Amino acid sequence: MRTIPSAVRTALVTAITAVGLTTSTLHAQAASQDDLNALREQIRQLDQKLRALERNTEIKDETAAAEAKKQAKITFTDKGIGFTSADGANYLKLHGLVQVDNRSFVGGQAGPNNNDAFLIRRARLIFEGGFAKNYEYLIVPEFGGTSGNGTLTLLDAYINLNYNPQYQIRAGRFREPVGLEQLQSDAVAFFAERSVVSQFVPNRDIGVQLWGDLFNNTLGYAAGLFNGVPDGTSNGTNTDGNNDKNFAARLFAQPFKNDKDSFFAGLGFGVGGSIGKENNNAGGLTSSYKTDGQQTWFGYNAATTAAPVTSGAVANGNVSRISPQAYFYKGPVGLMAEYVVSSVEARNVRTTAPAATNKQQLQNTAWQVSAGYVLTGEDASYKGVTPATNFSFADGTWGAFEVVARVEHADIDDGAFAGPAATRLANINTSASGLTAYGVGLNWYLSKTVRASFDYFHTQFDLAPGAAPAPTAVIAHDENAFVTRLQLTF
Amino acid sequence: MKLLTTLLAAVALTSAAMAKDIELLNVSYDPTRELYVDYNAAFSAYWKAKTGDTVIIKQSHGGSGKQARSVIDGLKADVVTLALAADVDAIYENARLLPQDWQKRLPNNSAPYTSTIVFLVRKGNPLNIKDWDDLVKKGVTIVTPNPKTSGGARWNYLAAWGYALKKYGSDDKAKEFVGKLFKNVPVLDSGARGATTTFVQRGIGDVAISWENEAYLAVKEFGADKFEIVVPSVSILAEPTVSVVDKVAKKKGTTEVAKAYLEYLYSDEGQEIAARNFYRPRNEQILAKYSANFAKIELFTIDDLFGGWAKAQKTHFADGGVFDEIYLKK
Repeated sequence: MRTIPSAVRTALVTAITAVGLTTSTLHAQAASQDDLNALREQIRQLDQKLRALERNTEIKDETAAAEAKKQAKITFTDKGIGFTSADGANYLKLHGLVQVDNRSFVGGQAGPNNNDAFLIRRARLIFEGGFAKNYEYLIVPEFGGTSGNGTLTLLDAYINLNYNPQYQIRAGRFREPVGLEQLQSDAVAFFAERSVVSQFVPNRDIGVQLWGDLFNNTLGYAAGLFNGVPDGTSNGTNTDGNNDKNFAARLFAQPFKNDKDSFFAGLGFGVGGSIGKENNNAGGLTSSYKTDGQQTWFGYNAATTAAPVTSGAVANGNVSRISPQAYFYKGPVGLMAEYVVSSVEARNVRTTAPAATNKQQLQNTAWQVSAGYVLTGEDASYKGVTPATNFSFADGTWGAFEVVARVEHADIDDGAFAGPAATRLANINTSASGLTAYGVGLNWYLSKTVRASFDYFHTQFDLAPGAAPAPTAVIAHDENAFVTRLQLTF
Repeated sequence: MKLLTTLLAAVALTSAAMAKDIELLNVSYDPTRELYVDYNAAFSAYWKAKTGDTVIIKQSHGGSGKQARSVIDGLKADVVTLALAADVDAIYENARLLPQDWQKRLPNNSAPYTSTIVFLVRKGNPLNIKDWDDLVKKGVTIVTPNPKTSGGARWNYLAAWGYALKKYGSDDKAKEFVGKLFKNVPVLDSGARGATTTFVQRGIGDVAISWENEAYLAVKEFGADKFEIVVPSVSILAEPTVSVVDKVAKKKGTTEVAKAYLEYLYSDEGQEIAARNFYRPRNEQILAKYSANFAKIELFTIDDLFGGWAKAQKTHFADGGVFDEIYLKK
């Protein structure tokens, strides 16, 4: 047998080894390529999943944002609680006002009906709303004041048709457009109690009014027909004492309002008034005028309320008021001034002996000038003061402080005291013929919603000729009243 | 002669003085933006020449179902140009803003142009998508919008169902097929344009089921080097419909011009514009002129296989319908 030469064997072995090595390397390479491809595919799929995840998150956010636009909005701020439909056309805002007062009289000079007392001066919920962008309403039930004796009253209830801010129609129960201070919100006046001027103009009445703001909001106007209410009172009976209606109107100009650089940007002036007729109406005369301490200093002799009136003072003829008015606000300074003439044809008819008739054309007048200065520098305004900071021990901030002062005067027509005692329109021993009052005060705005007031009023009375009031009568002494208040409004 | 010239000038001046500015709102479905940019310019020029009035047409685009909902909820559309008749029907049923027989008012059941459903794939067709069956294979990701909000998505769904019904012979099999298809759908955009954006710009998916016109636009805009169109063996004849929203147009005083706006879609110019934007015109001559743009494909109608839109909408896309069953099960 022939053997394979060694050189050939070596070559063969080398060749076989080489082939074997090459084959295993090729297998390894192929396996690596498959793995690589599989890895690439896995990465591609993971990349796709990630992109899909991102896109789905975006779609979810877009859907949520679109759904959120359809949802009604609820807000809770210092301006109250608000509910607004998604399209903004319908809304309801809930506000509130609570005023807790203390009235104290220096020297025990409270009258027979008014002791030093704590009282809920006002406590009301305010429902303000609108539908379809053009229809607004206000409903305000009052739980405080005289209602605090257990009777809930309806303070305001009206519908406002607002197709155009220049021409709006309001119908229902609301303040007649006459007095400047009377029209100011109860929460923001300089003092806790309005001046005597506000008692000579009508308060809330039931009627219909055309009103609006013209010439880029520089001229406000209002004109309406109302049942008619006596001075300083509101219509609380939902009726009219006679068939005649009262016409009330007001024009108020703020000619520099839109010129922020003008010194007079905060100047406003105007005139309000009303005219009507009262026919032998026992309810046509004011029940009383009150001091800043809310004590009665003048009242007509009460008439029998059942018709026909057999005694007492009634309104019987024309009733009118005219009130020029103005304010000026510049930075922390605020000024307000008003004058009013309230005219009424009144009579006292006594049918029982000695029968007599006492007819008088009365012109009662009043004026007031008020001033305020915000010590902490915030701007004063007809709509109140907004503190820059809240009172906070922790932060060392104090809110805002405002000092206020007022002088006011009222004069009752001498005709109210004319004639024999039996037929006089007013009793000279319980009603003053006029008063002059001075007030100073400090308002502390703890926050946008809470205010504390500290007011002092000094009132001097003028007496009718021959008057000899009893020592316990309100008008027998000057009144010195401290009125402090803690107020929450939102 | 001088008098005549003066009189003519006076008439021209008077006409110019009396010429009006009119605004229309066209609430349309998602992919028609480019179509209506071209069409609105043409119609405005036509109306100006005819009446002297200036027509400004504002557009709103979105998923067809969503757009119908917006009009029902108060969007002041003078006209609607939506993806399908059922969405226009919904405006009648829910808000009575147009009459029940709105579809009879214009030719071809108020569908001035048609389209169909094709596939848009990445260049090279890496997964070798040829027909509907390839879409249900494992590992294929599909982009199609949400049938609850998009008219195009409903056409897509019904095209797939129709294919399966023809091939496999029963609604159960078709449901199973469409169920498998939606298992491969990772993202549901609200409208057809959104779905195209997801596929083309976000790079999601292997295949987008798409309006034919949308697919052509994507290839034209992004390049034939990136995408190509695959035409399935069978698809659905999609008939987007148009209508005046009568109550809105009457209140706005735009009825006459709104009617003319839709009627002009059927004019030669309107049909040319549709064809240039890859919608299949109703005008046979113009369709023939642009035939190279449109693949030859076996088409079935919604009436053929589904008994019309009202029935299809109720069966498949209403709350609790077949699509909800399929998608919730996923």
